[in-house]
Amino acid sequence: MVTGGIGWVVAVNLIIWTGLFLYMLRLGKRLREMEKEK
Amino acid sequence: MKNLLAWLLWLWISAVIVGAFYYAPLAMGFLGESSRILFFHVPMAWASFLGFIAAAVWSIRYLRSRNPAHDRAAAAAIELGLLFGVLATVTGAVWARIMWGAYWNWDPRQTSILISLLFYGAYLALRGAIDDQDTRGRLSAAYAILGIVVTPFLFWIVPRITYSLHPEPVINAEGKIEMESRMQHVLYASGLGFAALFFWMHDLACRVAALRERKPAP
Amino acid sequence: MWTPASTWAAEALAVFVKEWRCEFRTRYALNTLGLFAFTTLVVVSVNLGPLGVSTAQGTAVLPVLLWLILLFSVAAGLPRTFVQEEESQTAVALRLAATPSALFCGKLLYSLTLVFALAALVTPVFAAMMNLTVESPGLLAGALAAGGYGLAAGSTLVAAIIAQARSKGTLFAVLSFPVLLPLLLLAVEVTRNAVLGDAAGVALPQLLLYDASVTIAGLMLFPAVWNP
Repeated sequence: MVTGGIGWVVAVNLIIWTGLFLYMLRLGKRLREMEKEK
Repeated sequence: MKNLLAWLLWLWISAVIVGAFYYAPLAMGFLGESSRILFFHVPMAWASFLGFIAAAVWSIRYLRSRNPAHDRAAAAAIELGLLFGVLATVTGAVWARIMWGAYWNWDPRQTSILISLLFYGAYLALRGAIDDQDTRGRLSAAYAILGIVVTPFLFWIVPRITYSLHPEPVINAEGKIEMESRMQHVLYASGLGFAALFFWMHDLACRVAALRERKPAP
Repeated sequence: MWTPASTWAAEALAVFVKEWRCEFRTRYALNTLGLFAFTTLVVVSVNLGPLGVSTAQGTAVLPVLLWLILLFSVAAGLPRTFVQEEESQTAVALRLAATPSALFCGKLLYSLTLVFALAALVTPVFAAMMNLTVESPGLLAGALAAGGYGLAAGSTLVAAIIAQARSKGTLFAVLSFPVLLPLLLLAVEVTRNAVLGDAAGVALPQLLLYDASVTIAGLMLFPAVWNP
């Protein structure tokens, strides 16, 4: 029970973290494009 | 190159997340698995304070240079400090509910972080109340520096004169660290990860603000 | 070689005298502070008096109430010293006439005399109305002096900041409370010790350290705040 429960928490954490990470990468890319066209 | 660093950070924090639950042992005196929240709650508080320090540094640089980019950097640091501060307060409240039965106990540490949130809010309120860019930069820089002078009293001096429910701080009264080494590994790794995350977010925030002003970033 | 017409000390003193001269013309700060303190005092004692605050409750609660009265009175009446300059547009003349540090010290001295007068008036009346016995009056005087100083110094600097912004009244409260809260926590602690007759403990030197820190910060930051 314990490992099952913990496993879920770890998985959710990783998913949220990866989502945040991808968002920040995309934001950075979009900023770079906007800065270039200035 | 930046992408490589970003992916490294992703790996680092993923390792921290896994390590927090599988590698680090449970802390003594904590209920069940709840001590794991430490590896996120504490680094978030550190990141919040890092924001305050960064804002003070950028504020000093602004007062010297009067470069609006420095002012934008200070404001961005405060905003991030507020974000991490709120996260730290919320994770702390969740943990407090588990450990002590109530979300809020007016524990000196809880009070201190609440007051620091008031600081961030006050700084942003001040910025909102000034229209002229130069005056805004000048006055908010002064306030940020005043804030950093006062916060050590909030975080280190006042909590130690009154009884606290909080566990001993990481560096206890003798200056020694009494945490299991594996817990220390994860905690410091997490701290580094959150610090890197702060600087990355700060960089993005500054660039967004610069584009809004249609001026070059620092 | 151009030399200033007056010494630094003369400038600070001149500012101080000017503040009190203006104050006696309108008696704004005296009235505001006095009225506010008196009203709060009456409200507190009317509500707590008949209940009969026990000694144990008294030592816990009364020091806090005293400092709250002082804090709110200061917040009500003190910021005017800078706001008035901006509103009556005498600030420009002041910027030309005095060096920033002398100006800051003059205003600080004025704020100090105001706060000390307030504390000297409020505390005995408060103690009498609340039947509070103070074991170490000397330490209490020290707490009021050190705490009052911090209150005045912090408020003076914040007042200078908000004088150049909009919505000055609320902004002063919002900006000053985070700055002053550590001071209050420490001052309450020392006051509590004075009431109980304990030794000063670790809070008093920290209170003095706060005072020193805010003074230095004020002296260093005021020129940037004052001059564009």
